[in-house]
Amino acid sequence: MSLVARHLEANGIPTVIMGCAKDIVEYCGVPRFLFSDFPLGNSAGRPFDAESQACTLELALRVLESAPGARTTVQSPLRWSDDATWKLDFSNLDRMTPEQIAERRREFDEIKAIAKSKRDAVADL
Amino acid sequence: MGFAAEHDVPIPYMQRTRDYYVRLGYPAYRWAHFADVPFTPLTAPLARLRLALITTAAPYQPGVGDQGPRAPYNAAAKFYTVYSEPTDSTVDLRISHVGYDRTHTTAEDPNTWLPLIQLQHAVKAGRIGALTPRLHGAPTNRSQRVTMERDAPELLRRCREDGADAALLVPS
Repeated sequence: MSLVARHLEANGIPTVIMGCAKDIVEYCGVPRFLFSDFPLGNSAGRPFDAESQACTLELALRVLESAPGARTTVQSPLRWSDDATWKLDFSNLDRMTPEQIAERRREFDEIKAIAKSKRDAVADL
Repeated sequence: MGFAAEHDVPIPYMQRTRDYYVRLGYPAYRWAHFADVPFTPLTAPLARLRLALITTAAPYQPGVGDQGPRAPYNAAAKFYTVYSEPTDSTVDLRISHVGYDRTHTTAEDPNTWLPLIQLQHAVKAGRIGALTPRLHGAPTNRSQRVTMERDAPELLRRCREDGADAALLVPS
């Protein structure tokens, strides 16, 4: 998505990204970014919390309006939880059993095979 | 001293993912990285502008497996070309095809990845001039070349066709 933002911006369309993966977006380098320190999948706010979703959009719009230059990141003040231990879990092999790791490997091979066959099907069109 | 916990920082996804792939025996992924970043200022107040919405969520596809809340990663639900849907109604877009945090979120509320209802409210309230008539779906595949050479130009073309003055991009 960062690549798309850069392309639109370079062609005269101002952009703002709402997202949860701070390091990946900033490493790419984008014009404007509203970062929510939430689990991936919640870029637009907390589930079943319209107030949080409205606040997240409003922040993104303010970043769009007022960023003084490229690479502007604003972090939403909203917290996912008072306890930050959820941040230790994502793709953290130190927190998985050997069986879980083997299962992940099997899943990943399967995902890659399905994605490849779908991609090839599109390429054939 | 009242300091926050040391691990209470944005998750280092690149490091976490790098370690993860190496331990599983796969080659490391190289993330896109640029020294220069383009910047285009807004031309008028938002209340007079037309905003495009771009998402990585996928249209629900019957027959390709579970795409609902708590669904396992579903590569069969991926899409590989840009799509568009109207913004004046509700659309059924899912995120089972991407690696969201399946431990700490359930993907039950589409408003957490698609701010369409909030955008419609913002238009009604006069905060934004208008939404473009269509939202656009950006494929998430692992080929940065395809994204840069095919998908991004196609998204630009559609945004221009819709008269977009600015764009909100929401990765899921």
